[in-house]
Amino acid sequence: MLAAGSKRQFIYIAALVVVAIVIGIWEPHALVYGVQRGSLYAVIALPLALILGILGVLNLAHGEFLTVGLYASYILFNNFGTDPLRATIPVTLILAAIGIAVYLLTVKHVLKAGHLSQLLITFGISLVLSELIKSIYTTQPRSVFTTYSYSSTTVAGVRFGTYEFLYLLVAVAVLVSLQLFLKKTRLGQATFAVGQNPRGAAIVGINVSFVYLFVFGLSIAIVGLASAIMVPRVAIFPGAGTPYTMKSFALSAMAGLGNLNGILLAGLTLGIFEAVVNAIPGGSGWSDVVFFGVLIVVIMTRAIREGRR
Amino acid sequence: MMKKVLFVAVLLLTVSLPFFTGPYFLSVFNTIFVFMSLALTWDMMLRTGQLSYGTSGLFGLGAYASAILVARAGFNPLVSIALGGLFAGVTAFLLGFAVLRLRKIYFSITTLALTTVFSVVIRNLPKLTGGASGTVLPSALFNGDPAANYWMIFGLTLGIIAISAWLSRSKTHYAINAIRNDEITARSSGIDVFRYLLLMFVITSTLQGVIGAFYVQQYAFVQPEATFSMNFLLLPLAMALVGGVYSTIGPVVGAVLLGLASEYLKLIMPYGHLIVYGVIIVLVVLFMPQGITRPIMKWLTRKTNVGGVNSASIGN
Amino acid sequence: MLEVSTVPVLETEGLERRFGGLLAVKDLTFSINKGEILGIIGPNGAGKTTVINLVAGIFPPTSGKIIFQGQEIQHLPAHAINRRGVARTFQNVRPLEDFTALENIMVGALFGQGQNLAKAREFAREICDLVSLGNFDRYIDNLTVLDLKKIEIGRALASKPDLLFLDELMAGLNADETAEMIDVVRHLQSRELTIIVVEHIMAVVRELTQRCIVLDGGAIIAEGSYDEVARQEQVIEAYLGKEAQHAGGKEFGCYLW
Repeated sequence: MLAAGSKRQFIYIAALVVVAIVIGIWEPHALVYGVQRGSLYAVIALPLALILGILGVLNLAHGEFLTVGLYASYILFNNFGTDPLRATIPVTLILAAIGIAVYLLTVKHVLKAGHLSQLLITFGISLVLSELIKSIYTTQPRSVFTTYSYSSTTVAGVRFGTYEFLYLLVAVAVLVSLQLFLKKTRLGQATFAVGQNPRGAAIVGINVSFVYLFVFGLSIAIVGLASAIMVPRVAIFPGAGTPYTMKSFALSAMAGLGNLNGILLAGLTLGIFEAVVNAIPGGSGWSDVVFFGVLIVVIMTRAIREGRR
Repeated sequence: MMKKVLFVAVLLLTVSLPFFTGPYFLSVFNTIFVFMSLALTWDMMLRTGQLSYGTSGLFGLGAYASAILVARAGFNPLVSIALGGLFAGVTAFLLGFAVLRLRKIYFSITTLALTTVFSVVIRNLPKLTGGASGTVLPSALFNGDPAANYWMIFGLTLGIIAISAWLSRSKTHYAINAIRNDEITARSSGIDVFRYLLLMFVITSTLQGVIGAFYVQQYAFVQPEATFSMNFLLLPLAMALVGGVYSTIGPVVGAVLLGLASEYLKLIMPYGHLIVYGVIIVLVVLFMPQGITRPIMKWLTRKTNVGGVNSASIGN
Repeated sequence: MLEVSTVPVLETEGLERRFGGLLAVKDLTFSINKGEILGIIGPNGAGKTTVINLVAGIFPPTSGKIIFQGQEIQHLPAHAINRRGVARTFQNVRPLEDFTALENIMVGALFGQGQNLAKAREFAREICDLVSLGNFDRYIDNLTVLDLKKIEIGRALASKPDLLFLDELMAGLNADETAEMIDVVRHLQSRELTIIVVEHIMAVVRELTQRCIVLDGGAIIAEGSYDEVARQEQVIEAYLGKEAQHAGGKEFGCYLW
């Protein structure tokens, strides 16, 4: 949908900017909030898109890894007094390790077994993760409080929170890093090749198995990064990350396979859309439905475009 | 011959259960039948090669439809069960029409989101549905008579078993297996894949809605958390996987085994016992994708060519 | 040899199919009459299988028309086209794993023709005889390549097609097996069945077909009997210019009789 064809993407960006300005005038909070949340959605969606694009696997446990990251940040904060922003690196590494472990134990063995086995296994993992957390920490919500995460400023008479602009920063940083990685490093180019054509890549001597392992670990690491930066602003409970699986997939589907830039665009779009819906009186409970609706529309559009395939 | 005798014996035994057991055992079997039905319907959809995670969603939808009809419109509970099923079926039709053209992961994740989305919608319409705290129905089905409820769910489950068995002997069986094995070949052989997928999705969803409606009428209570519970997705999946997918006997066996085990589990592990089912799913997919029934039957009868699922994995 | 009618069973007009930037088939116009056996040859990547996929409805053409028995079918889905009387085999055999050989063939009868289970079973049995398929109660992991090919052609025949595409049916068969298959295909020729043979093995094309069209780069570069086109310069160039002809050359030597 947001195909990387630059002309189409340019038109889309232009349209988005126009819409954003309109919304900014009508309801500035919606614009600010939308951009912030949208960036967060993009950061969280990128890793799902990575695994989907390179391994061809839909990681249904994606949201649950996010939850694990949230709890990891919480534990570091609660038991060791670590400031969440400082905890970013350890949490990222911890999640990478967990991701690699899960991959080696389970996902690796079903890569050739077909999509049904993959869907079932990642689903099972999502349950194990969330239930494990539930049994240790119960469903009682927890939180991490830092003063800076509630800082705000006032611009042109409009007051909004500033911490969450971090999401936009991180989203752009992650996106740029990924692009650089894929284009400029040998491992990155190998990864790109594997994503395009695993058999061809193997023939040329690329260690496809290692690439898969790396991508999975990298993906969960980015999820860890996301969890660390969002932890001061969300409620921490066993189901906290779960909605993000579907939302990340909606973004990936919107952007189209292999289109990483498109995910940031899609994230901003949906973030703003969601914020607008929330700004409408009585609309606040419907954000999940918004994403779901978008997902259905994207699927239908794709189906029509692919004709009889 | 032996098989038929065994079957009739089991049938008679199960039908007459209320005459020699008390309410506790009846409710255990009642629950087992509920999950058995869900396991069977989930498997029936899986046979087409599409994995639906919507079991709990359609279950809950049928439940709420029937609850609303009874609580707000004074419908007869039995009628509302049928209508609950119908409502689920229509929803499945609309959804399937939109999503079944792009299948596999798109279909699966959409159905996974179903439960959450329906739950959110229900919560946001409190006047109609009682919102997050739910609604109590004016009276329980059959006034709570355990035997009557038991016979009803038994009858429903038997019906679903019959449908599943019929499916494996009919022309539809060929279409569904062909679609699952190789969609392109199926299309090239005159099979309207989309139509069959939609048909199976609607049938299985309607049945799930009926079961959901029954369940809720039995307990005379709906509430988003309880009615759209993960239980109604996770257990049926695990049961069908353990028993052996792509068959009628598999989900039946799996439901009995895991159903009984779950009763025991609830006693020793009050929190987070769902984790066991997650682990079971992972283990079965990794080590025993065929489930246990087929290997056991093979061993019992020592036939060389039992036929059917030969592959060492579920997917294709 | 049977007399060929002059009623066209299939006509294409300006058929074109694009995949992204690649033009797989361009401005393709040909026709085949009822009862003919037509050969489609050409080097690898010339678009031969794409033509089959287009006519059989796997995907629609980007432009152009496909007229089957007087009616335009280019926008119909594959299953509808099959029911109208077009069947095809696949280059890489696609047997259905959860069925026996007989059941594989039954699928064609059940849905291509719309028969009931009993009739379909009977009809499939007959087809097994027709293609000399013996082990029809076996599951596919116990069958030879030749058997699998027979299942392919059997399943296609079971839908009682008026037009049958054979996509490189002989690939992977040894000399004896190829001879057996050629025999099977020859016996299929009748006034009722029109056959299009896509092949790499020239001797097979020469044996079976009365007329050929040669594809290269998605376009028709020659048309005529096999002997006529094999002599033409652009055909030789199309083959000599690509690597595929080395294999073709060896096969020439093997199968030239």
